[in-house]
Amino acid sequence: MTKRSSPTRDISAVSSRRAVLKALGLASALCPFGGMAVAEGTATPPAGRHVTDAPVANAASPHDRVPFHGAHQAGITTPRPANGMIASFDVVADTPDALERLFRRLTQRISFLTAGGTIDETDPRLPPPDSGIVGPVVRPDGLTVTVSLGASLFEDRPWLVRLKPRRLIRMTRFPNDALDRQNCHGDLALQICANTQDTTIHALRDIIKNCPDQLILKWKQEGNVPVIVPGPDGTVQSARNFLGFRDGSANPDAADAALMDRLVWVGEDRDEPAWAVGGSYQAVRIIRNFVERWDRTPLREQELIMGRVKNSGAPLHRRGGHEFMVPDFSDDPKGVTTPVDAHIRLANPRTDDTRDSLILRRPFNYSNGVTRSGQLDQGLLFICYQADLERGFIAVQRRLDGEPLEEYIKPVGGGYFYVLPGVHSDADHLGSALIAAARTGLAESVNREKRTR
Amino acid sequence: MIRKHVLAALALIAVSTGSSTAQNTTLDLVEPITEYKIYVTEKLDRLVADTKTFTDAVKAGDVTKAKALFAPTRMSYEAVEPIAELFSDLDASIDSRADDHEKAEADPDFTGFHRIEHGLWVKNSTADLAPFADKLMSDVTELRKRITALTLPPDKVVGGAAVLMEEVAATKISGEEDRYSHTDLWDFRANFDGSYKIVELVRPLIAKKEAAFLAKVDANFSKVSNTLDKYKQGAGYVSYEKLTEDDRKVLAVAVNTLAEDLSTLRAKLGLD
Repeated sequence: MTKRSSPTRDISAVSSRRAVLKALGLASALCPFGGMAVAEGTATPPAGRHVTDAPVANAASPHDRVPFHGAHQAGITTPRPANGMIASFDVVADTPDALERLFRRLTQRISFLTAGGTIDETDPRLPPPDSGIVGPVVRPDGLTVTVSLGASLFEDRPWLVRLKPRRLIRMTRFPNDALDRQNCHGDLALQICANTQDTTIHALRDIIKNCPDQLILKWKQEGNVPVIVPGPDGTVQSARNFLGFRDGSANPDAADAALMDRLVWVGEDRDEPAWAVGGSYQAVRIIRNFVERWDRTPLREQELIMGRVKNSGAPLHRRGGHEFMVPDFSDDPKGVTTPVDAHIRLANPRTDDTRDSLILRRPFNYSNGVTRSGQLDQGLLFICYQADLERGFIAVQRRLDGEPLEEYIKPVGGGYFYVLPGVHSDADHLGSALIAAARTGLAESVNREKRTR
Repeated sequence: MIRKHVLAALALIAVSTGSSTAQNTTLDLVEPITEYKIYVTEKLDRLVADTKTFTDAVKAGDVTKAKALFAPTRMSYEAVEPIAELFSDLDASIDSRADDHEKAEADPDFTGFHRIEHGLWVKNSTADLAPFADKLMSDVTELRKRITALTLPPDKVVGGAAVLMEEVAATKISGEEDRYSHTDLWDFRANFDGSYKIVELVRPLIAKKEAAFLAKVDANFSKVSNTLDKYKQGAGYVSYEKLTEDDRKVLAVAVNTLAEDLSTLRAKLGLD
């Protein structure tokens, strides 16, 4: 079932917004965190795309391949393709052996799906080995499948509990939340992203079919990002969310490895379990937007709530500017131009003491159907990554609590997860360090018991 | 008597199917299919008798007795559901759920077991249920009549083992089948028994060749059976609401794995 497929191209070869803008002499305006980048000394970052750059029209190809192996899992600093999904599962695994079996199987499936290949033909009297929804040849199509673990996976297993990442907790309610337990938490989550929706669904169905004895699907939310046609000068602007505002203008530069090491990846300097090095905290929030009501709100009010010009994405103090201009609130302490409770100002006040709370956002828009009140069920599948959940998402959301935007949004689901470190080679598998640590712990506790006898 | 009759009918089918492999496999299945027909016949006799007692209690206005008879009466139907479902008109009028109908509980086409269940548990009354009781009685009688006259298609019988697990996976695991009475664990057991029966009947045909497959299937059957046993109460089971989250997960993965594995059973017996 795993004949490797035809020539593929590395996704990072896609042209860079940064490079294009730089050529246009806009480089200084580009860095989302202005002064900070200078302090960080990021002189000429490699040509790479912003995670939240909109997928470029006609640029995606079925042959796009995101490498599966690496120090970190793919799908985090990888530029967002047009389609994304979070699927959350309950896990049945009573022992390290059982959990390892699941991790090995996930590794095997994800390794195949992200590389592509030809599906074997089998006896037609048997159910086919593959759903067939992408045809007999699976193409990589920019697919990434990112595996993360919820607090319950650790807490419900005595042999895992001491290995839980320090800041991993079950997501707790914020004041504006109306969490539906049907759409919250989980032992294990998959973030599945690809150029086309069929590829994400194909990957999900493949994994469900191959792990029926260990994974129980709990909830899922699909989303997408509008594909953008580049401007006449080659620039690509950020995609818009369902509130009509550009989303992602101020995201940290995922191509800046040093910055990612500081903000996103858990390194050895963090007081986390050794197995967790190379991983990251993932916060997922299903945030419904009350779009009918939003559309009945005056434009000026919408812009004051968000803190940006709706059409261009420019900060309010640079009305005639563009979205990549760095907001500067220093000469507006009273919030005359940009209200002090504007969304972007609360989320990132751009002060020295909030630099630690930068997060890497990787959201998708979702559109689900109609509520019982006859309103559209649309919103944002918010996903973000950070090296410290407490100082990252939780700190940002605490600052946002009570913001005027809350009248128009309602978080209804999601959860916190810890992304496993990357898979180094074909000999390695997802969660190998975690399993090894769990086994060592078990052996130690057995020895301790023997000694006390 | 019945057995001989079916054997003859099956032999005729086998001869008429053309290809020699199909003929051989079908002939191999004559014995298990005949046994299965007897099993189905017994279940249907029991269903007709139990439904009579049940519907009599409903018509007599005896809510307590009717409630007590609801779950055990359904078990005979649930055990042979893949065969009963061959007649979709009767399956709909006997066993459809409120959400199969546009107007849900208020829909005039919502009849059968679950319509009566709704009256007994939600309204705690037998008022207005007599017409539904009569209809259910005539439907199950008609079902027995039609199935008695039916030559069981081998693929439907063998495939039934997986179909019953699909039933459990789709509606019993969530407790939505018997949503008013919460007697889902009774149905669960009946679906399980029906599936296990089919595997038992064909086991000798694949015991040698498919030992590993059968061992895995048996392990999951045991897991389901042992877990359900924890919830036994008297002749039946406690409320679905008593099922713990941990046990629900154990059941879910065992049932999903059985559904996957048993989906290959037809091919293993050479059936299309």
